[in-house]
Amino acid sequence: MVDVEKLKEIARETVSRDDVKYLIGWRQGTYGFRTAPHFVGTPEEADNLIFSPLCSHNLATYLTLVEKLPVPRGQDPDSRKVALLVKGCDSRAVVQQLIEQGIGRDSVFVIGCPCRGVVDLKKVEAKFPGMREKVSATWGNGTIIFNLPNGNVEVPRQEVLAGKCLTCRYPNPLLSDLNFGEEVAVWGSDDYADVKNLEAGSPQERWSFWEEKFASCMRCYSCRNVCPMCYCEDCVLDRLNPQWVMRSVNTAENTAFHLARAFHLAGRCIECGECERVCPVDIPIMKLNRKLSKEVREKYAFEPGLDPESKPLQASYRPDDKEDFIL
Amino acid sequence: MSAEFEPNVVAFLCNWCSYAGADLAGTSRTHYPPNLNVIRVMCSGRVNPLFVVNALQQGADGVLVSGCHPGDCHYMEGNFYARRRFTLLRELLEYVGVEPGRFNMSWVSASEGAKWKDVVGEVTQKAKEAGPFKQFRRDKINW
Repeated sequence: MVDVEKLKEIARETVSRDDVKYLIGWRQGTYGFRTAPHFVGTPEEADNLIFSPLCSHNLATYLTLVEKLPVPRGQDPDSRKVALLVKGCDSRAVVQQLIEQGIGRDSVFVIGCPCRGVVDLKKVEAKFPGMREKVSATWGNGTIIFNLPNGNVEVPRQEVLAGKCLTCRYPNPLLSDLNFGEEVAVWGSDDYADVKNLEAGSPQERWSFWEEKFASCMRCYSCRNVCPMCYCEDCVLDRLNPQWVMRSVNTAENTAFHLARAFHLAGRCIECGECERVCPVDIPIMKLNRKLSKEVREKYAFEPGLDPESKPLQASYRPDDKEDFIL
Repeated sequence: MSAEFEPNVVAFLCNWCSYAGADLAGTSRTHYPPNLNVIRVMCSGRVNPLFVVNALQQGADGVLVSGCHPGDCHYMEGNFYARRRFTLLRELLEYVGVEPGRFNMSWVSASEGAKWKDVVGEVTQKAKEAGPFKQFRRDKINW
């Protein structure tokens, strides 16, 4: 079971350390089943920390989102670490950032939280519509227990877990300086069934599926902004010269945007599912990412975010890579 | 309206092998389909996958990326990187519904004028079979 008091104790100790700037965790959101990222700068702020099946945010995003202000002359840069609570999938994001040298190992203090799956907010809100009071939740035995205002409700895990959690193969953090909670047995396996289903159709069927999805995209770029792997300071989508993707919102440009975004994550996506979670028009973005993950796994036996010592997929090669389609 | 559809094919050729190979085909007076629009790049590893997407958006019905044979790259390893990149891009394009024949890659060395002719023939034929590309073509170009 998750002992939140112990987590708060760990957080207080961590934040009191001289070499830690702040800790990033989760807290209760403003209403309903919502949770929000919580930045703990002082030991008192740790009282609001939670860790529950509602904590779906991937906090690794904030490691690279933080603005790097110029250091005034005569001052030393702040070299203190950022402490971070990670679930299994989030830890892969940290590992992948280390592989790409997006962050340094000295700049982050990772607290691993073994996770038994987080909920998909859309599924939960469909089950309990119109909930305005704050609700907390805990993991039960094969279930998730919601503490609703009129009593506890136990729901089977399969009904409310996020899609990525149903096929999760890495519930335990792969990288941590400190572990909180007990290790969890792996329950999932991934055969990419959703990708294979779509692949089975003809090109026309696939395009009509994606055309409908891409046409509804309004290019809010939430998927890019929330992605822990999208941290280029100069994003190709913001560039005006050369402008690869026009700003107009239509199917052609949206498709180019989605292809560019997905391809930039080829061999890098750690499948935390954040892009799909934040999408306001429910585009199945993970279906694109997972297609590339599948190919990367089949063709190059490579998975991103597992080993900090490995090299990025597209920055390495093997002379005997498959090339069956090349004339 | 002419009876047969003539496709527009954009070819990215590496300066050191494929472009020289195409040049050899030309100086040898080999006949091959005139549907090709050649863009010379310094290496197949220089070709950004966005070039391919952009070409399709702006009027290409087929795209060809051609470089040196593996191991022969002028920059030692550029075509190895290109190979990984475009294997994945091809899968991605097919997955969103681009017909399989539209995106092609080939290795043509500077001495393979005859192979170049075959490659162009095949690529043009495939693009012709796939028909005009309309999935994500840009409505207005250069606006």
